[in-house]
Amino acid sequence: MLVLTRKLGESIAIDDHIKIRVVQIKGKQVRLGIEAPKDTKIHREEVYLAIQNQNQESAATSSESTKAVAELLKSK
Amino acid sequence: MIIHTSRFGAVSITVEDVIQFPEGLLGFNELRRFVLLDDPTDEIFAWLQSCEDPQIAFPLLEPELFVATYAVQLSKHDSESIGLGPDEGVRTFSIVTIPQDPTQMTANLKAPVVINVGKRLARQCVLQDNSLAIREPIFTRLQQRVVQNPHLKIKNQAVYKGVAVKLNRPPEVEG
Repeated sequence: MLVLTRKLGESIAIDDHIKIRVVQIKGKQVRLGIEAPKDTKIHREEVYLAIQNQNQESAATSSESTKAVAELLKSK
Repeated sequence: MIIHTSRFGAVSITVEDVIQFPEGLLGFNELRRFVLLDDPTDEIFAWLQSCEDPQIAFPLLEPELFVATYAVQLSKHDSESIGLGPDEGVRTFSIVTIPQDPTQMTANLKAPVVINVGKRLARQCVLQDNSLAIREPIFTRLQQRVVQNPHLKIKNQAVYKGVAVKLNRPPEVEG
C-alpha cells in the first residue's frame, strides 16, 4: 500500500481526474473532500462489507425457508 | 451439461443458460458462472445458482414486486462490464435474505444483480443512490401483493421468462 503524509488542506491526485483533500482533522476523525468524475462510484468501505454480509447470508438460504415464506404469506 | 446443486440435485442446462459474472459477486469473487433457476414448487423466488459450487444459490426477486419505482442508474463501468449495447435490455433482480423469522426478510436494493439478457453477462452493481437500502424490509409489501391478487401467484406476477431455466419437477397441486 502506498502511504502518503498530508496536512490539513492538502490533497492527493489519483489519475488525472480524482482529487482527495483533507478538509478537517478533529481528534481521531478525518474529513475528506473528494472531487471525481460524475461516473466514479464512491462509497464508505462499510457499504461493501455490508453487501458482502448480505450475500453470505442469502447464499445460505435453504429452499425450505423460501417455501415457508410462501406459506406465511398465504396464511396471514 | 449437468450441474450439481445441494438444493435441487443434478440440473440439466445448456451452455446458453449460463450467466457469466466476469467479476463474481461481492464476497464470492471466485464464482463466475451462474444459472437462474425457476423451481415450480417455489411460488415466489427465482434462484441464482452457482455452476461451480453446489452449495451457493441466492434467492432473488424482481424489485418491481415491492418497489413501485425502482430505476437503476448504471455507471459506465457497470454497463461496460456487462457489455451493454444501446439496443440491449437488462433484467434486474434483488438478492433476498430470509432470517429465522421470515417476516423480517429483506431485499438488497443498493446492489442489484443486473443481467444483460442477450449476452448473458451480469454484475452485482453497487448503485450510488444513498437512499437505497442494503436490507429493505419487504414482507409486508409482498403480503399486500397477495391480498390484492389472492389467486395470482407472486411468481406469475414476475416473469423470469427467457432468463430462468425451469426445473423439471412436478408442480404442487393447487388447493
